[in-house]
Amino acid sequence: MHLLLVGISHRTAPVEVRERVDFQARGVADALGALAARGSTREAVVVSTCNRAELYVACDEAAGTRADLVKFLSDFNEVAPADLAPHVYDVTDLDAARHLFRVAAGLDSLVVGEPQILGQVKEAHTVATDAHTAGPVLNRLFHTSFVVGKRVRTETGLGSGAVSVSYAAVALARKIFGDIAGRSVAVIGAGEMGKLTALHLKSQGVQHVTIISRTMAHAARTADAIGGASAAPWDEMDAVLGASDIVVTATGAASPILTKAHIESVMRPRRNRPLFIIDIAMPRDVESAAGEIEQVFLYNIDDLQATVRENLARRASEVARAEAIVGEEVEKFGAWFRSRGAIPTVVALRQRFEAIRRAELERLDFKLSALPPEARARVDEITHLIVEKLLLTPTEQLKALSDASTVGAYSEALTRLFGLAEQDEPRTVEPFARHRPRTPR
Amino acid sequence: MMNFVPLTLYAAALVVYAWHFARRNPAVGRSATTLLVAAALSHTFVIGMQTMEVGHVPVAGATSAISTFVWLLALAYLYTEMTTDERAMGVFILPLLVALQAIPAIRPGVEDRAALLQGPLFGVHVSSLLFAYASFALACVIGITYVLLFKEIKAKHLGFFYARLPSLQVLDRMNQRAIVIGWIFLTVGIIVGGVWAAEARGGLAAGDPRVQAMSLQDPKIFVALVCWCVYSFELFAARRIGWGGRRAAYLSALGFAIVLLNFIPISYFLTKSHNF
Repeated sequence: MHLLLVGISHRTAPVEVRERVDFQARGVADALGALAARGSTREAVVVSTCNRAELYVACDEAAGTRADLVKFLSDFNEVAPADLAPHVYDVTDLDAARHLFRVAAGLDSLVVGEPQILGQVKEAHTVATDAHTAGPVLNRLFHTSFVVGKRVRTETGLGSGAVSVSYAAVALARKIFGDIAGRSVAVIGAGEMGKLTALHLKSQGVQHVTIISRTMAHAARTADAIGGASAAPWDEMDAVLGASDIVVTATGAASPILTKAHIESVMRPRRNRPLFIIDIAMPRDVESAAGEIEQVFLYNIDDLQATVRENLARRASEVARAEAIVGEEVEKFGAWFRSRGAIPTVVALRQRFEAIRRAELERLDFKLSALPPEARARVDEITHLIVEKLLLTPTEQLKALSDASTVGAYSEALTRLFGLAEQDEPRTVEPFARHRPRTPR
Repeated sequence: MMNFVPLTLYAAALVVYAWHFARRNPAVGRSATTLLVAAALSHTFVIGMQTMEVGHVPVAGATSAISTFVWLLALAYLYTEMTTDERAMGVFILPLLVALQAIPAIRPGVEDRAALLQGPLFGVHVSSLLFAYASFALACVIGITYVLLFKEIKAKHLGFFYARLPSLQVLDRMNQRAIVIGWIFLTVGIIVGGVWAAEARGGLAAGDPRVQAMSLQDPKIFVALVCWCVYSFELFAARRIGWGGRRAAYLSALGFAIVLLNFIPISYFLTKSHNF
């Protein structure tokens, strides 16, 4: 059994290609159905986001399945194979596991450490479970990837710190005020930037937003566009500032509209209640000396961008720790995955023993036929139990093997000792089930 | 001797809290809390044993009082941690616990209670003051963390503490609450102490030199009143002139420095009225 991954991602394919290979739009469940119908795979999960389309499958033969999966990618998405081929990558077995774990951890994302991907991986697995295309191998693989995602989130700083200017501003506001839902925001300037900032703050739970503009009509129009915001004329600036906790300045003024002295005069009646000023205007709207006032926190667009850069750098420095976690989990998964190499031998061994038991019972059939049916059933049960008991320890020992060469040596020895190669290798028997239903003879 | 067990556990908890603070691993955080709970329980046991041994709660001497103070502070901190679900302060509180608990650990034994210290007023006096001091210790630590975070935000360098501490608003509110609680107990403790001293002078122990030394000239009493003034000013300033935030934090650090001064050097070396 092999693990195989075939896919494209933002690392290999430009957006023009990625948007054509969109399983989300065509239906992931349909894709899984179509893939299963091709018969080249035993298990399959499709991970599809706007940055990646990846097929994770378990199969018997990697090379042939790989070719079929590439063909499936182009067939199902109606993309010419030649357009797709240069962008497709494929990895097998533990490298595929490592790839999925890195994806789930956010290590393979466009913005390293972004949090959505883990949910998307979980969703992909759920869809495959519902479509009955995920089996023991992929279930184990994906559950381990959830563990990796969670561990990286809690044990490293890979996902910490805002990595966009608007989120950095909201994160700062939360660090100053705690909950920002009950805070009031004043936006000075009714332009597009001011409107976007107000919308973002609203979406983060802020309830009171006041727009101030030199032209009252502009302010009112922007306030309407935001919905649930109010507008105030320019000459009520001091009153609005006095009542606000967060001030966003985004005017097109050529020189500062708020001086240090002006803000000091506003702070006095506030009794030093903290004031967070976000100056996103260019050129700046607020005199930078205003940041020296006690309890005034002044951040301009450059400061916010600098914190974003710091956060990105910090995330980068956490990558090694996250990779170490991925490595550990690949190791653990690998031990389990390799131990599955013994399964065909286990199956063959059980088949062999069961065949001997049945043959002996058949041979003795003429003697047993004199017995009442209950006694015959008992004989069948006892012989079955003996076989089970004999096989219990060898089965467990084989399952515990985790290194491929030992598995090979044991399998070889067992095959010779019990003559396992002489019979067909049946695939229908569930190898580790101890209590199969059986009918008394 | 017995005080070494809680000391060791406090020290172990400190290490784990520091580890948790640096790595932010929730499992490590939970074990830090578990260790601190174990330390507090063993400390409870030690204090309980001493109480049974001498027949009263061991607060009558400076060393026993420190041990009881450490125990109260550990409980107060654990209460704060459980109610706010915030472990970041532990790494700041525990060094104080370890340093103070070292004193009873190396000066074993419970001081005998002087005859004149029997009676309910004395118990109220000491336990209110110890509780007040524990609150002030919490306020001081919260204040320190406030300043650390404040400086990072002001300097626009959002780093280590930014990622680990709760918001300024929460820290400020916790600080104020600890100060209010501490101030109430400090006030009660001082008033009860005054009433007790007045009664002692009129009673049988009036000839005791320590009772005679109980006046504003005694350093222990004087410094306690200075403390009360500092914290009263802080409460007034926070409400009336907007001295919240960083200034309140500095005042809580100043106040607690005075408390510590009163608690250790003055108790052991200078006071003439409180050397029981």
